[in-house]
Amino acid sequence: MPADRDPVLVPAQGTELNRFTSRKDAFRSGLKDASGAPAMVLFAGMVGFGAMGKTSGFELSFTTLSSLLMFALPGQVVLMEMVLEGASLLAIALAVTLTSTRFITMTVSLFPQFDRRDQNKALYASVHLLAMTAWAVSMREFQRIEPQHRLSYFAGLGLLCWMISVPGTILGYLLAGAVPVFITLGLIFINPLFFLLTFAEVKPWINRIAIALGCVMGPFFYMLDRDTSLLTTGIVAGTLAYWIDRQYLRKRRSASDGGML
Amino acid sequence: MAEHLQGWWVWIALASACIGTYLCRAIGVMLAGKINQDSEIFRWLSAVTYAMVAALTVRLIVLPIGLLDTVPLWIRILICALSLGIMLSKPQQRLVPALLIGTLLMVSYGVIR
Repeated sequence: MPADRDPVLVPAQGTELNRFTSRKDAFRSGLKDASGAPAMVLFAGMVGFGAMGKTSGFELSFTTLSSLLMFALPGQVVLMEMVLEGASLLAIALAVTLTSTRFITMTVSLFPQFDRRDQNKALYASVHLLAMTAWAVSMREFQRIEPQHRLSYFAGLGLLCWMISVPGTILGYLLAGAVPVFITLGLIFINPLFFLLTFAEVKPWINRIAIALGCVMGPFFYMLDRDTSLLTTGIVAGTLAYWIDRQYLRKRRSASDGGML
Repeated sequence: MAEHLQGWWVWIALASACIGTYLCRAIGVMLAGKINQDSEIFRWLSAVTYAMVAALTVRLIVLPIGLLDTVPLWIRILICALSLGIMLSKPQQRLVPALLIGTLLMVSYGVIR
């Protein structure tokens, strides 16, 4: 194995772990793992989003449907912001899609770890259950789950997260209309804070550098052009982080390992 | 409710947002078997993704629209720094307390202002 491989990205290969006895067992375990901190945090995020919808003057049906059908908090927030600004339909569609390009990389990193028999058309349905929380938990847990049980585990995890997003959104919407402003202030602060806190868990240095550069360059590109700033920042900061990792970090690492493979 | 938040175009905006989001998920499934997850392109895409989510987060905190904009910038940043400090003290276990304390601090600010 190359010495510079990130442990996070390496699936368990040829390891005989009998963590689950059946697919049903794996599914149940996924449900159970989701019902702890990940679901709590996602639920809070959806409550926060519902509150944002209410305070911004959107209808309950609009706010709820976006949670059910998009199930991507950053994209939902971008959609709301841009509708508020009265941006053009094309700009909205493009910006939200660009915000969601992270699903491509999430899927590409997670789905090949499923068992070969599970690599079929049904994955086009399962992929809707993918969100940042379920992805992060799966990437960590898959290393300790045998391939044939990974899809069931993921389905349990993702399904619960998706199911709670609708009641969470409705609750936040109704709360924001009923509680004092200071409570609402806390609710709408949940999402930005959650996104920020998850960065602390990111391991490989290349991604840490990308986050740091994204934070610094984001506001700069935002001033230049609002609609495309997320994409421009992502590509420029991400490419720079990749280059720094390739040019400096990997060389130094392999030098300290005596260059062994 | 604001005038411009009603009417058909808001729903078309939602529909195109849903389609755009699902499209990215579907492209991911399509490419999943074809791109090696340890390949160079994956490392690059992963870095691009993290940079993009970082930019969105900074935008929501530093340049928000609406109610959060009524909170002074230094208060927003101070609360973020405190929460992040709690989180970094033990990243595996402190997400929930850090999120809770940050939210409560924002509520407290709303009470005393």
